[in-house]
Amino acid sequence: MSPALDPGYLLLAIVLSFVGNDLWRVLGVVLSARLDEDSGLFAWVRMVATALVAGLVAKLILAPAGGLALAPLWLRLAAVGCGLAAYGLSRRSLTLGVAVGEAALIAGVAALGI
Amino acid sequence: MSAEGDLDVVDSSGRSDLDWALKGAVAAVNTPGIVLFLSFLGFGAMTHDFGWPLWIAVVSTALIWAAPAQVVLAGALANGAGLLGAALAVTVSGVRLLPMVVALLPVLRSERTSLGARLLAAHYVAVTAWFEGLRLTPTLPRPARMPFFFGLANALVVGSSISTAIGHAAAGVLPSALSIGLLGLTPLYFLLSLERGAQSLGERVALGLGLALAPVIGLVAPASDILWTGVIGGTAGFLVQRLADKRRRS
Repeated sequence: MSPALDPGYLLLAIVLSFVGNDLWRVLGVVLSARLDEDSGLFAWVRMVATALVAGLVAKLILAPAGGLALAPLWLRLAAVGCGLAAYGLSRRSLTLGVAVGEAALIAGVAALGI
Repeated sequence: MSAEGDLDVVDSSGRSDLDWALKGAVAAVNTPGIVLFLSFLGFGAMTHDFGWPLWIAVVSTALIWAAPAQVVLAGALANGAGLLGAALAVTVSGVRLLPMVVALLPVLRSERTSLGARLLAAHYVAVTAWFEGLRLTPTLPRPARMPFFFGLANALVVGSSISTAIGHAAAGVLPSALSIGLLGLTPLYFLLSLERGAQSLGERVALGLGLALAPVIGLVAPASDILWTGVIGGTAGFLVQRLADKRRRS
């Protein structure tokens, strides 16, 4: 077993990640005490959050870590395109968009025999 | 004075904190919650691929409680990043939680909300809990919002932890097309949720720029690309919204 798979090592990595992640959550509590819902700063912060998550989505699709990278880029983009099209045509149904995008991805991977 | 007014609303509705928490837990079993559970099936399957024990995968969901951070952690460790390198990557990926907490807490808190309750609520902030919290709580009486959110978030954590375990256990059994499909759920679901949540012109600009900028900025500053994408895309969206508001008023 490589050291990276030792349970103690993994647990330590998880605890460190928990601390690093919750650092931002605690900072958010400190900052939010000084903000009110209608302020301009609040609107700005909300848009920064939107752009941040959007950026993460782009990275997860274009340069994924792990098994998703086994699907070629064109297939990942085609699956997202199918999902977006179904979502748009169904008047913004999250369920339908996700279901159609997933079906396209799974069918593509199966057809390619990955 | 306004606190008294709020308490009157709760009294007249006749619901206790526990009732609101249960309503929140029930609200978790909805499309966003179910898609989240499915994407944690995908995460569980991925950790099986990377050789994690099942219980470690479940602890990571229950404790870190942020699918992107967990995917970053697992990916970084699998790519041979050391303990500190992986934790740093996770910490950078978590920056987006700060503005999300700042955006949600003023909606949830009432005058009787303690610091401890606010810290705990912040810990539960992750994409799905955040979207659903912002979507469902503003119509509730103010003192009901925090218990409702705790019910919602706890149900999401429990369901996600169970899903992680099932995904891990099923990984060896599932055909690869299905396990790759599970891994694709998270980005697809995040993308559509963002689109549905972005109602103003400014938020649409922030969303579009975020998608377009991340790959470009990634070439220049791979370690901090998400952060810069957020600041640049969000600021641009904010300025566009300001301009649009000004034009409407004049």
